Amino acid sequence: MGLWQRWVDGLDNPIVVKEGVSRMRTWRAPVVATLYLGLIGAVGYAWLNIGEAANQFAAGRPVAAIVGQDAFAAMAFFQLALVCLFAPALAAGAISGERERQTLDVLLVSRVSAFGIVWGKLVASMAYILLLILTALPLFSAVFLFGGIDFQQFVLSQVLTISTAVCLGAIALFFSALFQRSLAATVSSYAAAFVLMVGTAVVSFLVSLTQTFGRISTSAAPLQTAAEWYFNPFFALATVLFPTSVVHTTLRGFLQLLFFGVPASGVVAVGGPGVDPWEVCVFVEALIAVASVAGAVALVRGRRAVRPGRTPERIEPVQPAEAQ
Amino acid sequence: MISVESLHKEFGRRVALDEVSFTVPKGEIFGFVGPNGAGKTTTIRILATLSSADAGDATVAGIPVAEDPGEVRNLIGYMPDFFGVYDRLTSTEYLEFYAACHGVARRKRPAVARELLELVDLSDRRDVQVDTLSRGMKQRLGLARALVHDPAVLLLDEPASGLDPRARIEMKELIRELRRMGKTILISSHILPELEELCTWVGFIDNGRMAAAGPMAEVRDAVVSGRRLRVELADAGEEEMARAEVILREHEGVLDVERLPDHLEVTVGPQVVDDDLLALLVERKLRVRSFAVIPGDLSEVFMRLTKDQMN
Repeated sequence: MGLWQRWVDGLDNPIVVKEGVSRMRTWRAPVVATLYLGLIGAVGYAWLNIGEAANQFAAGRPVAAIVGQDAFAAMAFFQLALVCLFAPALAAGAISGERERQTLDVLLVSRVSAFGIVWGKLVASMAYILLLILTALPLFSAVFLFGGIDFQQFVLSQVLTISTAVCLGAIALFFSALFQRSLAATVSSYAAAFVLMVGTAVVSFLVSLTQTFGRISTSAAPLQTAAEWYFNPFFALATVLFPTSVVHTTLRGFLQLLFFGVPASGVVAVGGPGVDPWEVCVFVEALIAVASVAGAVALVRGRRAVRPGRTPERIEPVQPAEAQ
Repeated sequence: MISVESLHKEFGRRVALDEVSFTVPKGEIFGFVGPNGAGKTTTIRILATLSSADAGDATVAGIPVAEDPGEVRNLIGYMPDFFGVYDRLTSTEYLEFYAACHGVARRKRPAVARELLELVDLSDRRDVQVDTLSRGMKQRLGLARALVHDPAVLLLDEPASGLDPRARIEMKELIRELRRMGKTILISSHILPELEELCTWVGFIDNGRMAAAGPMAEVRDAVVSGRRLRVELADAGEEEMARAEVILREHEGVLDVERLPDHLEVTVGPQVVDDDLLALLVERKLRVRSFAVIPGDLSEVFMRLTKDQMN
């Protein structure tokens, strides 16, 4: 099947419609959306009050931009954390659930391709996350009134959230195709999410510590960040929302950091196109998502067991079948 | 329409299929008979493009399953032995979903769902959520689901398992109706009396080996030596019954006579003409109340075949 046909399949995918209908008919869908919005709203409101109080105390009057920026950041981080919790849960049972429900074989005997099944499941899971993110936009917009956040920061924060959701959803889908049981798929998906969110942070911290130890006092060069930080969505979000903390580097510099660590001089290579952590993060997440979807497609295709062009080896019958 | 030739399949060290061969002509109902674990489901899964054979060929309408599984999927309707249904979908939505999965045009899907619900007598349940249907209704809906793309061949793996007697009869009628519609049907089961009534062709499999396959009557005659007749006499006493037994035993071609409390069961060879035997009894002044051929017993065929193989 050609790439174009796959694309068309992806657009007119019965699985997306079916999953959407059955998901939205549960009581869970509106309850989760309500909780999601309520929690983000509560965090934003709390941060607003805390910020206001702190600024009143410090400067005698609230500094709207600082308060707005802090409240927006709190909500964005909280939303990212919620998405990290929801995405694996929504996608981890997508294919293993079909197997448990004994509906997968029937689906595999239909004309829907393995890619169509995986893509449909991913889109269906992510559509709900996207719905949650869309419903939260008015909350984020309210913080705009205070200033401190520009439109680009707003867009980038949402892009990072969506790309993280898709990445974690795709990983969960891969595990869902790999394991027979949804429980195993869910546990593995959360483990992978933990590695991506916390593991990269811990590794980055340790790498930073070992690579820059002893150089701070001897070099006038700024402290370089470990490249692994760039893979962390929370770090990328922080660099988007608080530009002063951005470790802007060049592509050459980033690759040098990634493969060779901080050079003895403490100064990474310059020249060539610049890269921001959010760009690296989105790129890496996209790569992981593509690899996970490809893996899931291969696993689902393997369930069909016969592939075009593969003819079983013929063996000569030992004796003719009886009573033919 | 379906051809399976020297199919071989192993799971680890266990041989699941060993040189399995059979054919199913167009428009026939093929009963695939065997005990649990004999290889019925493995064979059906290979035909349904869900599993591959280690060796051998399987074709549907002349198309090799291994070479063009996509085209084979267009030709077959598959109903597995166990299948689930989706929650929170109505019967109509369920069928429309699978119609979409089989590439049925969007505008045709509602009509397809409506017609199939009528066929399986579930029209009054069109807006009922499928997970609330009874087992028998789910089986019928499953059969409707297998028909959404109007396939020429139906692969039904134990379609009547777990059904109550009424649901079984309904399922049987439905399968007969599908044959009238021109479908070629492969149906696996280990409930032999049902298959006997339903199938025109039969194949016996045991321990992954085909014991026999072909038209029902031919297989039966080949395996069970002689046909059996039931002879009942009117107001027959012990003496009459004994006389009838002697007359029958003396007749050429009669292989065995078994005297039962109210009738005689006579096993005859192929050379015996039933009318001649009946005329003989009447001629000898025996008052024959009924004289009938006992339908061949598939269970007996199966037992003999599997016994031979075990020996």
